[in-house]
Amino acid sequence: MRARFYVNPILCTGCRTCELACSFTHSIGGKPGRSRIYPLPGGAPDLWVPVTCLQCDDPACAKSCLVNAITRNAETGAMDLDQEKCVRCMACIAACPFGCSLFDSFHNLVIKCDLCVGDPACAHFCPTKALRYEPVAVPVKRSA
Amino acid sequence: MVSLTINGKLVQAKEDEMLLAVIQRMGIDVPATCHHKAVEPFGACRLCTVEITRPEWDGWTKHVTSCLYPVEEGLVVSTHTPQVIELRKTILDLQLARSPKARYIQDLAAQYGIMRTSFEEVPDGNDCILCALCTRVCDEMGFRAISTVNRGHGKEVAPPLHEAPPDCVGCLACAQICPTNFIKYTDNGDIRTIWDKTFEMLKCEQTGQPTITRAFAEYLTKHRGIPENYFKLGDLKHRHETAATMGRVALWERQEKV
Amino acid sequence: MSITTPQQLEKLHRECRAKRERDKKRVIVCCGTGCLANGAAEIVEAFHKTLKERKIEGFSVEAVKETGCHGFCEQGPLVVIEPHGTFYTHVKPKDVANIIDKSIADNQVIETLLYTDPVTNTKIERYPDVPFFSHQQRIALRNLGKIAANDIREYIAVGGYQALAKVLTSMKPDQIIQEMTDSGLRGRGGAGFLTGKKWRTCASIKDEPRYVICNGDEGDPGAFMDRSIMEGDPHSVLEGMMICAFAVGSNQGYIYVREEYPLAVIHLQKAINDCEREGLLGDNILGTGFSFRIRIARGAGAFVCGESSALMKSVAGEIGEPRAKYVRSVVKGLFDKPTVLNNVETFANVPIIIVKGADWYKSIGVPTSTGTKAFSLVGKVKNTGLIEIPMGMTLREIIYDIGGGIINDRPFKAVQTGGPSGGCLPESKLDLPVDFDTLTKAGSMMGSGGMIVMDDRTCIVDLAKYFLNFLVSESCGKCVPCREGLYQLHRIVTRITEGKATEADLAKAEKLSDAIVLGSLCGLGQSGANPFLSTIKYFRDEYLTHIREKRCPAGVCKALIRYEINDKCTGCVACVPACAYDSITGEKKKLHVIHQDKCTKCGACYAVCTYDAIDVI
Repeated sequence: MRARFYVNPILCTGCRTCELACSFTHSIGGKPGRSRIYPLPGGAPDLWVPVTCLQCDDPACAKSCLVNAITRNAETGAMDLDQEKCVRCMACIAACPFGCSLFDSFHNLVIKCDLCVGDPACAHFCPTKALRYEPVAVPVKRSA
Repeated sequence: MVSLTINGKLVQAKEDEMLLAVIQRMGIDVPATCHHKAVEPFGACRLCTVEITRPEWDGWTKHVTSCLYPVEEGLVVSTHTPQVIELRKTILDLQLARSPKARYIQDLAAQYGIMRTSFEEVPDGNDCILCALCTRVCDEMGFRAISTVNRGHGKEVAPPLHEAPPDCVGCLACAQICPTNFIKYTDNGDIRTIWDKTFEMLKCEQTGQPTITRAFAEYLTKHRGIPENYFKLGDLKHRHETAATMGRVALWERQEKV
Repeated sequence: MSITTPQQLEKLHRECRAKRERDKKRVIVCCGTGCLANGAAEIVEAFHKTLKERKIEGFSVEAVKETGCHGFCEQGPLVVIEPHGTFYTHVKPKDVANIIDKSIADNQVIETLLYTDPVTNTKIERYPDVPFFSHQQRIALRNLGKIAANDIREYIAVGGYQALAKVLTSMKPDQIIQEMTDSGLRGRGGAGFLTGKKWRTCASIKDEPRYVICNGDEGDPGAFMDRSIMEGDPHSVLEGMMICAFAVGSNQGYIYVREEYPLAVIHLQKAINDCEREGLLGDNILGTGFSFRIRIARGAGAFVCGESSALMKSVAGEIGEPRAKYVRSVVKGLFDKPTVLNNVETFANVPIIIVKGADWYKSIGVPTSTGTKAFSLVGKVKNTGLIEIPMGMTLREIIYDIGGGIINDRPFKAVQTGGPSGGCLPESKLDLPVDFDTLTKAGSMMGSGGMIVMDDRTCIVDLAKYFLNFLVSESCGKCVPCREGLYQLHRIVTRITEGKATEADLAKAEKLSDAIVLGSLCGLGQSGANPFLSTIKYFRDEYLTHIREKRCPAGVCKALIRYEINDKCTGCVACVPACAYDSITGEKKKLHVIHQDKCTKCGACYAVCTYDAIDVI
């Protein structure tokens, strides 16, 4: 992968622009989808933390997926969930220790962040640059 | 890469692809009720049948199910010839005779101009269209709890001996994948019942949000190495915990810098 | 004793052959399933018991041989006295003492047990003179009725395993495949695929291990060719498989036997055990380094498991459902490995083709269908049984010269060939030669060799209904056109037999048949509409009579017939108690009457009336 997604909670104001951007980027049939990113209280006054998929090196979601619907995208480095393969068994939702595999009950979909296939909307619109998607000098190969 | 012609258009395909994948990629609407990406193609519904020929066949054609036919260099494919459309109509007509109340089949048949079946309605018909997606996904997930039993017209999907299946973990993949919602289950947040088997639901220890069945969680721990304690909280609480942890780390880093 | 070198095999062959020639006088008791059902086992027992009591000079009880099916099942139980060839029919245990005294001890012929030719009305003494046999050419069935089914030494005595020795010591796999290709042998299971071509393709696939499977499922109703070979000459099948295995590079074989053939399983297993004991199966066969093992896999009562991909699933312990064969089983078959699947009769032909050569085999039959074919000739013929004839013989010759014509000399109506997937041919087609291609062009097919002859008392629509019912119950149920389509087609044809159909239904049935043929996944479905399509082709009038006039010309379809008493009735009152439904009234010496509202058309009255006074209209 040629870029990395950076999260800096100190710069996060909790404005939730990222949540809005994510939701509208993932609209289905004109209706806003469920967001994959949520700024949540960080345990101190004025401290907010945007929580989204960490694209783990040893992902519990992929391990728990019995139909291999979650695989590493070599280009973006993200763990992509193939909606056409997903059977909605909710194993990944239960298994992710960070709570970043979610259920969109309106559309009956299991959803997770896929870094918008290489141009994350949340990072694009974050006013404080608490979220950044920046190229790395040397491309990194990540485990499947 | 392989070049072939589909409905007059020249397209490229990867060598091990099946025709249906290429057809769908082109946006051509070919029905395939027993097809799902999570499982191997089955070739049971026959709706994805297409006509194929090759230049050297001198006009001779063959009809194959596109879900199972691998792409070939120079193949010529037609997805909507009059003969193929007639075949799809008859198949949907036959399906309607067996499952007249299944909305999924009604809609598909209506697309082909069939509003009601022209055959005798099958006396013991139901909404199960015998696509076997449920049994195949159960096999794919590794449980093999249900299968198709009996031969021919009496075929049905059932657990062994029509009793509560010992291998079922209550993951609901079968019910979710069923196109006609024929597989029924109940779930009140505490107990889930499917195939006459009851399962205890695991719940978030803090919010009470139900997650998955205990049996499924135990399977994932035992066979997939997911630590048991991952299942103690629901996803909402997991996100909050993540935020709290990351907040602590950020504060600590800030203090370090100061 | 172990046969570890070709020289040892040759030595054993000479010893066994010499013994066979010394013991010229033999009593052959046919122990094919038909004769067994008729009491052949009791006859064998009677021979053993009586010979123990009466010692005959120069004749021991070992010369009583239990062989496979002679094929003349109509006349069983059969006993043949060699070397003269005296042919006794309808033998009973009580005849045994007489046979021993007269025919064995004294070389006399017992007239009363001889076969009477129904055409000339004369008795025939010798087996080879019986027209039923003299018109045949038995190659696949060559040993049936000649050697004891369960004795490997008898098989070796008549030249068994010579082909194997020849192949292992002097032929390369390429040469063997070339010989099979040159012979023109086509699969005898019905598809008629060139055997040599199949072997060649399998041998060329770079994948291992490779498997050889013998298809002994024989699901067609009324077919018993393969059963007779498996029961009566199991070694010929084993030898054929061994030669194939060497040619394609396989070390493991399976014989899939249908569940309903327990005797075949017993005989095949005995043959396998004997071969293993003697070293003809296992490691380093005849010291040549070639290893091959055979296991028997049993079916579980499904016609669809005769289809090659379903069969392989069944052998692997999975549900016997066929798969789309865009990737052929020679490439990916059993356990997804290259597999040669051939029919029992195909394998039985292999050893003799190797011994006598492709040119010899090619000289029999016709150029596009070389060799011979075994048929089970059944139905309304006088001589029913198992026959083998050179390809190219006409239907007329088979039915009249061998079959002896129609029972009671009733008019011929149709002959059904190829089992449920085949079709019916009318009288106008009787001069067609029987081979793979001619019958198919005429709208039927040769299939695996079933041949059912029908007279004017067979209703063609009822026959179509029967075969459709069979296919509906045997369909695996995986694909929609076969599972639902055949069911609906059967419903339409049933309604025709009940007089409840219209001409629109007939058109609907034809359109539905097209979909079934085009859309079905496997051969069962693709040929599943044939019972209807082939009968409507030649017998459309009969269908129309059922529909328009609500009448069954053959007097079969219960809803459309009436049983009526005519004026030949003598008032004997025999039919009144015969009727279980009290629908006949009549006093002694007065004309009886059948009350139509109570009559169920069971036919009991028709059976008991000796005055021909009951008509079926």
